[in-house]
Amino acid sequence: MTREALIERAAGAHREQRGDSTIADAPAWHDLDDAGRTLAHQRAIALREMEAALDGEGLSTTARAVLARLR
Amino acid sequence: MGDLDIHAAAIGAGDSEAFAHFLKGAERPLRLSLTSFATSVDVEAVLQEALLRLWQVAPRFESDGRPNGLLRLAARIARNLAIDAARRRRVVVDDGAGEEAVLEPAVPDPLLRALIVHCREALPSKPALALTARLDAAGGEADPILAARLGMQPNTFLQNFTRARRLLAECLRKGGVDPTYLAELGA
Repeated sequence: MTREALIERAAGAHREQRGDSTIADAPAWHDLDDAGRTLAHQRAIALREMEAALDGEGLSTTARAVLARLR
Repeated sequence: MGDLDIHAAAIGAGDSEAFAHFLKGAERPLRLSLTSFATSVDVEAVLQEALLRLWQVAPRFESDGRPNGLLRLAARIARNLAIDAARRRRVVVDDGAGEEAVLEPAVPDPLLRALIVHCREALPSKPALALTARLDAAGGEADPILAARLGMQPNTFLQNFTRARRLLAECLRKGGVDPTYLAELGA
């Protein structure tokens, strides 16, 4: 996977749940260097704003992922 | 948004709609509060875990009389989770990391949001499909699953998503959007 693809994936909101229900890191995040991780973080900030703008209830994909997993 | 504690009692009583309202204002400042950990932990994972734990402890939340107590509690949970995660990875974290964060609830920018909606409508079909798939999945499905549903290879899906993001950023630039936001979006 290219560096850009790793950043794109790490900047997304999808995260697996471990067997104990805690949230696991994105494997792509571990494959990035520090500069790539910083970029992924900055991009996530902007993407969540964009997602909230495009959501009927103003929620980002992070918010929706959390709401779907309330325990 | 002001004081997000207006939702605290309902959240404590298990009202997920109230929690959704809280998240609209809390997500951005909490994410920003973790910026100093961005190279040492997966901030997205830490943030989601912190919000799930906040939901669990919210029934026991007691206000200290100052605004945004629940937001401050969430920031403490997130910071502690980030420190623990960094230490598990044997990353040295500054004792003060994350403490300097300013916690102001986010307020939506209606002009930016209207422009984003407008720019999405101008996307070519395949980038639009990739963006819509991410939005519809709402963080619940991995990209390879979304790609397969669209009949795309995983890398093609990500390339289309990247194209959607860049085209949106270019459209927003023409609309005079704040360069800081455009830089974050990867313009």
